[in-house]
Parts: sequence; C-alpha cells; structure tokens
Amino acid sequence: MMLLLAKLGASLAAILALAGFAKWLGLGRPPRVQDAADAKRVADMIVPGFEPVEITLDRAGSGALMRDASGRCLLIRPHGATFAGRLLDTATKVDLDKDVLTVTPNDRFFGPARFDLGQQAANWAKVLRMQSR
Amino acid sequence: MIEKFPNPVDYAVPIFILLIFLEMIWAKRRAPEKYEPRDTLTSMAMGLGSTVAGVLVAGSVWAIAMAVYADRLMTLPFALWAWVLCFVLDDLAYYVFHRSAHRVRWFWASHVNHHTSQHYNLSTALRQTWTGFISLGFIFRLPLIWLGFHPAMLFFCGGLNLIYQFWIHTEAVDRFPRWFEAVMNTPSHHRVHHATNPRYLDRNYAGVFIIWDRMFGTFTQEVADEPIRYGIVKQLGSFNLFWVSFHEWIGIARDLWSAPWQHKLGYVWRPPGWSHDGSRETSDMIRKKWQERQAWTRSTSS
Repeated sequence: MMLLLAKLGASLAAILALAGFAKWLGLGRPPRVQDAADAKRVADMIVPGFEPVEITLDRAGSGALMRDASGRCLLIRPHGATFAGRLLDTATKVDLDKDVLTVTPNDRFFGPARFDLGQQAANWAKVLRMQSR
Repeated sequence: MIEKFPNPVDYAVPIFILLIFLEMIWAKRRAPEKYEPRDTLTSMAMGLGSTVAGVLVAGSVWAIAMAVYADRLMTLPFALWAWVLCFVLDDLAYYVFHRSAHRVRWFWASHVNHHTSQHYNLSTALRQTWTGFISLGFIFRLPLIWLGFHPAMLFFCGGLNLIYQFWIHTEAVDRFPRWFEAVMNTPSHHRVHHATNPRYLDRNYAGVFIIWDRMFGTFTQEVADEPIRYGIVKQLGSFNLFWVSFHEWIGIARDLWSAPWQHKLGYVWRPPGWSHDGSRETSDMIRKKWQERQAWTRSTSS
C-alpha cells in the first residue's frame, strides 16, 4: 500500500513537472483569427460544410461570430492553443456592453465567449436574440 | 498456482516521461502550437486517474478472468509460440473492442475521453478512461481466456500492446518505410484515427497491427495535404477533468430520460450521434455529406 502511494505521489510530481515545463517553454500560445478567410477555414474544421455569408472578427482576433445562408450562427473562440466552437441555438444567452458581446452557449462547461466587435456588436446581439425567440 | 506477471507498463512509465520531455523540446523548436500546458495536464491527470481506477478494480477483473479460465476449452502452455499467438490474438481482440468503442455509444462513453484532446502528442496517449470497468470493456478479452490463454499471459500481452501504442501518439514522426506502414500501426495511421476530418472518422482502429483494419475495411491512408483536426466532432472546449471523464455518460443519461420509450435503448447501443428524430449526426452521416460536397465541388469546377 505504501509503495503504491509512493508511486502515485511520484507520478503526480512528474505530471506537475512536465506541465510546468511545457508552460516554462512557452508552448501553446492562444491562436488568433487572422482574417475572414482564416475564420472560414476554422469554421469548416469545427462544423464541416459550414459556409459563412457573414463574418465578424473579434477586434483582437480572439475568435469570431459567423452566420450561414440558412441562418445558423457559429461562434469560434480560442481553446488553449486551438479553436473550439459552438453552433448557437435558442438557449444561447447574449449580453451586450457597448462594443463587447458576451455569448454563452447552452453548454455549461464550454462557458461564455467574449467578443469585442465594435459597431457590429449591437447587430449581432439583435441577430442572436432573434434566434432565441 | 501461477503468479501474475509484473505489469510491463509500470516499467515503461519513466521512459514515457522522458519521451514526453524530449517531444516538448522538439515542439519548442519546430511547432510550439503542438503542446498546450493545460491540455497536457488534463491528459496526464486522466492517466493518473485511470491508474487509480485500475488498481481499484484489478481484483474484480482478475476474479472474473479466473472464473472464465476455470471453464476453458483447452489449456495453452506458457511456451514461446503461445506467447506470440496470445499477443496477436489479443491485438485482434483489441481491434474488435476498439471498433465497438467507436460504434456503440455505451462503449464510446468510456473511450471518448481519450479522443477529447485537440492536440496530438505523447501526453495524449496518457489520456485514458476512468470508467473502463463500468463499461465492461474487458469482456472483449474473455473469449481468449475461455479459449485457454491464462489471464496472466493475456494481461501481460495487453500491457505490451499498451506500451506500443504510446509512441504512435505523435506528430514528430512522419512516415516509416512502406513495408512497416503496411503491417504495423504507426503515428501516421493513428493520426488518422484521432482526426475528426470527415474522411478520417471511425477509421484505423488498430492497436499494434494495422492489418486488421486492412482486412476488415476500416483502413484509411493519411493524406499529406489535408491538415488534421484532432479531437471529437463536438469539441468539449473545456479542460475540466470531470467533464472530460463523464460528459458522454451524462449525455446518455439525459437522452434516456427524455427519449420516447421505444427509442431509449437506441441512445445506448446505436452509434454516437444517432438520434431517433435525425436531429444529430453520426460519423457515417458526416462522411456522406462531405462526400456529396466533394462530388458537387468536382462537378462544378470541371
């Protein structure tokens, strides 16, 4: 039993050391959405076949909101060193604060995504709230 | 009475740690985006939890195995030929288990954790399930025990199989010579398996030998000019250990609660993504839509 606990303790120490080493090396910086073409590429990877007709990038490149011809809305945001995304549905929460839109999909562990959209923030708030009705 | 053999994985762990360390240095020089500290921490914590879970259920698994062995068809000896045969047949059993773990939601609920990382590196190999015993995944090995392989031999071969699968979880290695790629599971083949690109979904289930996928029609070659997206179809977007471990079990429970009575079991035994009303997509449906898009693109561009 003591040997087992010692092994587990050593494993935990090794785990923390390796994760700390990765952080110290500066691995895994958050990605940025460069432009609309980049957003389209990421969207297709998250939802194969999603072809946006409207794209608004976060002003710092930390994600984007997109809409396709059928009215489906997709958010993408950094998740570690990659992107994650969600198709938004009627249960999506939307909070607007001037130029900043906080979008919370119906997925507690995905969490809210914050977008600095400039003048587009209010338009998107309207679009997403209409979806929620 | 035959003693159990030592678990070979225990001896491989220091080498795992060293290789992860070296891969991180490779990533720093060549591709810093291939590692993410929180993702690696989650993967390794899952591995540690899986080890604890394994210790907790080891006695029960051994008791079940020995009960089956007591009714065995024949007694296979601890001879070299039997060890080789055991290793090969165990790998076949692993293929059957692994294919079921992608095509039957019940088994997927236990296996999905391993696929939740959006990165593909050696730490991903350690992202192992905590609920393997609950899902009864060990039953796929029982036929070999009933055939006559002693559980100690089988579990040792299983440990060797697991060790082999560690090093193939990397993007640091491109391709091996054709003869090797033809027979063995490799980083290239296993990248396909971890990919969510529509062409790659539910492919390359091999443990050690890729020949099973070639034989049973589940093989796909990695395509050089198509970037791979790793993870699961609906990415978790979270590093939360609880969610990584249990999200699919919770999903099954929710569906069992809300589905019409005649469809409840479908949410357990049918493929992941199946729904009684067609509101979700299975891997086959995603692939079919992608193939239709590809065909349409080719016809409009010619």
